[in-house]
Amino acid sequence: MADPELLAMLLADARLPVAGHTQSGTLEGAVMGGLSAADVPSYLRARLVGVTRVEAGTAVAARRAVLDAEPLAAVETAWAARTVTPAVRVASRTQARALLRLASRLWPDAVLPLAPLPAPSRSVVLGALAGGLGLGAESLARVVAYDDVQTVCAASLKLLPLDPAVVTGWVVDALPGVEEVVAATAGIKDPSEVPAVAAPQIEAWAHAHARTTRRLFRA
Amino acid sequence: MLTATERLGRTRIRVSSGAGGARCQVRTAVSRSDATASALRPMVIGHDAGRARVALVPEGALLLAGDAIEVDVTVDDGLELDLVEPGGTVAYDMRGESARWDVRIALGQDARLTWAGQPFVVAEGADVVRSLRVRSGAGARLALRETLVLGRYGEQPGSVRQTSTVLDPAGQPVLVEDLPLDADSAPLLLGGHRVLTSVLALLPEPGETADDADRYDLDAPDAVLWRRLGHQVHDAELTAAWRQVCVPGR
Repeated sequence: MADPELLAMLLADARLPVAGHTQSGTLEGAVMGGLSAADVPSYLRARLVGVTRVEAGTAVAARRAVLDAEPLAAVETAWAARTVTPAVRVASRTQARALLRLASRLWPDAVLPLAPLPAPSRSVVLGALAGGLGLGAESLARVVAYDDVQTVCAASLKLLPLDPAVVTGWVVDALPGVEEVVAATAGIKDPSEVPAVAAPQIEAWAHAHARTTRRLFRA
Repeated sequence: MLTATERLGRTRIRVSSGAGGARCQVRTAVSRSDATASALRPMVIGHDAGRARVALVPEGALLLAGDAIEVDVTVDDGLELDLVEPGGTVAYDMRGESARWDVRIALGQDARLTWAGQPFVVAEGADVVRSLRVRSGAGARLALRETLVLGRYGEQPGSVRQTSTVLDPAGQPVLVEDLPLDADSAPLLLGGHRVLTSVLALLPEPGETADDADRYDLDAPDAVLWRRLGHQVHDAELTAAWRQVCVPGR
């Protein structure tokens, strides 16, 4: 098996054919709600203290469950109870389906623990893959948090008049926040420990975004 | 847990069935760690065979540094409790100290609880930990309204950490939330708003309401959260949703 770090790079790569380009991390909804280019860095921060901890923590708990041969259903339920916006749950589960399809071809054994779940979330799938493929908890949390930052920043270039170098600078500036997410989530053992930090404003934007037909991104 | 500087005021309310089809029993108790501790006094407004109505009346100047308010509410199988609050609560400047406000709700099988919470205002300088824990029995129904206001008019937000855990009859989580709000995090998490109103309902098929642009159907069946952000209490009200879910007998 390849070095786990290579696997982390693969999973974080936007060229992975899992339709990552359809996601904006709710940035499109935020822009519709009045967020301007100058607000994107604080939007990134809001996600890193809120929803990203839920996602990273869920992935880490799923990895742990696979390693301990515990059922993943409890992790999925914990995630869903922390994700109040139906549109966000749907977006995650839709993305998960693409990832699962790919992973079933590449690593059929690693996806076996996911079989009992009718529609797992993306973080549960990522966590299960990490468990099956030997990716460590810290690397896993880092992939989830980094991916979220890049998703928002890549979408910002399509939605707002921005210079790619400026946006990449925002990614770099957000990296300490990514490491804070890693520190806060990598040690999680049980689904009940998954952070539950809510960001009602982002939830409201995601909710309103799902109701409009004029959009570039799915979520 | 009682810390050395805390003044604990604990309120217990339990609705249980009366003997031989008589009116249901409403047992209430208030205990204080010392005579000066503030507490919420339950006043029974009325009760019949299956339903009780109780007001939670603050005694003492709530909510000050060192106050620890605990409210335990139990509604036994098949019974109904209506909790009302006569007015809102202000958590005042605590000058470096803190206070807490913990609510635990246990609903029996087919029990019903309606709790019309009034605004909880976290003044500049206040530091409050609020927790809500709900354990619901099979078929139990809940309608819970909460309004959180960060800072009185023109003030900076105080600090409040609000955690909510709602468990289904099997102990599985239905809603788990942690809102750590202060002057730094509130602008990020609430998008610059000062008021957060929510109506939480555990109720089969609540029907459509005029507030459904702010309706979040939770992943668990029969669990709905309406939530609205605003700058003033009156622009974040969820009147239609509340009216829909709190109707007695629903």
